[in-house]
Amino acid sequence: MFLAILAGFLLAFAAPLLHRWLGKWVVVPMALLPFTIFVYLLTLSPAVLAGNNLGELQAWAPSLNINLHFFLDGLSLLFALLITGFGTLIMLYAGGYLKGHPLLGRFYLYLTLFMTAMLGLVLAGNIMAIFVFWELTSISSYLLIGFNQDKESSRSSALQALLVTGLGGLALMGGLILVGMAGETYTLSELLERGDLVTNHALYLPALVLLLLGAFTKSAQFPFHFWLPNAMAAPTPVSAYLHSATMVKAGVYLLARLTPVMGGTDEWQYTLMIVGGITTVLGALLATQHVDLKAILAYTTISALGLLVTMTGIGTAPAMEAMVVFLLAHALYKGTLFLVAGNVDHATGTRDLTQLTGLSGTMRYTSIAALLAGMSMAGILPFFGFIGKELLYEASLEESPFRWILFAMSFFSGMVFVAVAIALGYGIFWRRSQNPTPLQHPDKPLLYLPPVILASAGLVFGLLPGFFVTPLLRRASEAMLGVEQTFDLALWHGFTLALGLSVLTVLLGYVVYRFSNRLLSYASRFSGLYLFGPANLYQLALRGFMTGATKITATIQNGYLRSYIAAIITAHIALVVLSLWENGPRLELGNNLHLLSQLRMYEIVLLLMIVSALIFLFKSQSRLTSIAIMGIVGYSASLFYILFGAPDVAATQLLIETLTVVIFVLILHKLPVFKYLSHATERYKYVTLSLTFGAVMTYVILIVKQYPLDSQLKAYFGQGSFLLGKGRNIVNVILVDFRAFDTLGEIVVLAVAAIGIMAMLKLRMHKGDKP
Amino acid sequence: MKTVILATAIRILIPLFIIFSVYTLFRGHNHPGGGFIGGLIGSIAFVFHTMTHGPQQTVNTFLKLNLYGYPRQPNQSRSLYLMRMMRVNVWRRRRMARHPEVKQRMLRIEPVYIIATGLFLATTSGVLGLLSGQPYMHAYWSDFYIPVLGKPGTPILFDLGVYLLVIGVVLKITFVMSEE
Repeated sequence: MFLAILAGFLLAFAAPLLHRWLGKWVVVPMALLPFTIFVYLLTLSPAVLAGNNLGELQAWAPSLNINLHFFLDGLSLLFALLITGFGTLIMLYAGGYLKGHPLLGRFYLYLTLFMTAMLGLVLAGNIMAIFVFWELTSISSYLLIGFNQDKESSRSSALQALLVTGLGGLALMGGLILVGMAGETYTLSELLERGDLVTNHALYLPALVLLLLGAFTKSAQFPFHFWLPNAMAAPTPVSAYLHSATMVKAGVYLLARLTPVMGGTDEWQYTLMIVGGITTVLGALLATQHVDLKAILAYTTISALGLLVTMTGIGTAPAMEAMVVFLLAHALYKGTLFLVAGNVDHATGTRDLTQLTGLSGTMRYTSIAALLAGMSMAGILPFFGFIGKELLYEASLEESPFRWILFAMSFFSGMVFVAVAIALGYGIFWRRSQNPTPLQHPDKPLLYLPPVILASAGLVFGLLPGFFVTPLLRRASEAMLGVEQTFDLALWHGFTLALGLSVLTVLLGYVVYRFSNRLLSYASRFSGLYLFGPANLYQLALRGFMTGATKITATIQNGYLRSYIAAIITAHIALVVLSLWENGPRLELGNNLHLLSQLRMYEIVLLLMIVSALIFLFKSQSRLTSIAIMGIVGYSASLFYILFGAPDVAATQLLIETLTVVIFVLILHKLPVFKYLSHATERYKYVTLSLTFGAVMTYVILIVKQYPLDSQLKAYFGQGSFLLGKGRNIVNVILVDFRAFDTLGEIVVLAVAAIGIMAMLKLRMHKGDKP
Repeated sequence: MKTVILATAIRILIPLFIIFSVYTLFRGHNHPGGGFIGGLIGSIAFVFHTMTHGPQQTVNTFLKLNLYGYPRQPNQSRSLYLMRMMRVNVWRRRRMARHPEVKQRMLRIEPVYIIATGLFLATTSGVLGLLSGQPYMHAYWSDFYIPVLGKPGTPILFDLGVYLLVIGVVLKITFVMSEE
């Protein structure tokens, strides 16, 4: 498993190179990788289907107890097979869809990166690893949505998706950490057995809120659903792969994965049911308001995601069964329909439902795929979608106080699904038309084969549900419920209530389809409502954030060195005074007065020199004088070092002072005229600040002097510098030997500062530009 | 700033400054001095030169090397060609500069290269310890003693790195500031 992930990352970054070497044949290695992983997972599946959970531990930083932990059970196997199987087809499809695109290599890089991240997400056995892969999918999704980076809409949609899912990811991180704290482990397999511990923990509620926030943003649940339709700016393979089959289901996966840990409480159930229910209805409603094929599919996807979340929320065995079956069925037919929509768009140049007619004659295979997928989506008898729909109805009709609300919700969405399925599977292809939409190019095998394969998978699974699908789905729902499942999937349940309802759904759906034109005409009346929608709130928040950031930056980063220094010194004073105030020792000056008598002549002279220089500095009217006076102060300070026996420090200080003065003089004539631009009060403010700082530092030093210095360091370094360091100059031996690593850090800082100064001065500001 | 006295004096003083800075660097282990101080002394020489002659002149005088040469003839042996090139660049520089057929290539030493060299020396001086199983930056000393320079050892290499880095940093800052 680890090797699969590693190979994915390696191949992802090799993709642009491969594209350069292989040209259009780059599709071969890119499709081969997911296929290989798919086959590898199939070889693992007998063990998983037998009820074993496979784990794999890869030591990473064993000393810190951080390991790469992979974990494969029914649920992850279902998702992993979906990701790699679908991934193979998408890679092939993308080769045809973006044929001749100059950035095909980059596209494959993003797509493979995403696939690997998604695979890592479902295989990760550690909740922190889940988070890392989760964020990787967000980032690769951002890159993929913004793939047509020359379009403004594409870029803003990508940013929107990133911000919404990234914000959710941040919440998720908090949630996962809280869960880890509550369960006292970050390993998934251990966590799954500690459900009671977590749900009874005080941190349960905040953890739940944060986790749900993460899952809802990722899975486009209300009120975060708005990013998904905008994400359709991505090329169609991406929409099909990320935004219908895999990535948006990551939220559902997370909810399903954590059901044994977090689920079962009232908060969990009601939140999921309410949010899922609203999303289902809203998605279905909005789907009828659009004519763009991809927008319609996006809204039905949102609706389907809502259904999945609702089913997870109900949490009973039939609901979980319905959820996994519907998840698989939805991935199969929705992926197909997306690919079909991409084909139509590619061949005709339009995605407008009202302009497309009679394509079955010219796009034979695509229309067959569309018909099969449409029938699965509508829930017609021999298809896998039919089983999913039946189970959904059965699960929502279970004994519970909300059975009618749940049922109405799934019935309504089912109706809309049927209408959409008829429109897409039948309307644009098979309905008779006098003047079929002209094609720009005929159907291509690389474009129609993947949807045909996917759609026929829906048919095969429907006809032979017991073959491989049932055991897999059993294990998947077992992972959520914790109890072994024994359900059997069958096409024919006899004449039950659910069957009657299915027939009714199809009939009513057909009615909706007939009246879809009239429904569309209502669309304009709702437009006023969108002003209050979450999409607009998002725009408002984003704008507010930008202006706020600009204002804060303008206030804090005003570009004046003096205010930065003032801020640093003020903070320093505040911290020192605070800690002294709290529990600092008190100064007893009386005992130290005798030290004054030990003052030497030189010290007094130097002190007088510094003080008089400072007074003179305050009065000086020319820059050159000020620099010279600053030099005097510096030299006097270095003389102090000599007086106290630190020649190295003194020499350094002397040289630095010299250099400062010389460099100042060097640039003197380039500086503006020396003037007091600030008011006198402003200047007194800085004088006060300096005096306070000096006073505080003096106070601190006096307190330090009050206590005898009891340290072995002096003796140690005095001895060691000659015996160990082979040098008599203690300071230098400390610098280059004992503490060489610190010195290394310092010189690195020095080098970085030089580069920074170079960058700052070379970067010519235009007049009036704020830094 | 053009002052003739300083401009003339600094040209004579620069070798002195550099020799003294190197001496300070090496005596640092036993007496006051060391890489940092040495580097500062060395760089002050160049800063004064820049101040009096301008940065372009400093670069031309100290940090630029003109290499002269001509393409190798087809029937000329490689070693002969190399020796000719060496002779052209070492003994006959004056004459070659005026020769019409000889092309010149300039080798400019950017201060950033000096910074990088210094950083490289300082960092790698500790690797020796790492290779022999000791902690990074473990010091090794040789047994013999060189007059004036003292005992060679890895900390001296480290100090040399600091020296070069300090010179590079000051030069870079000076050039950038005076070029504006």
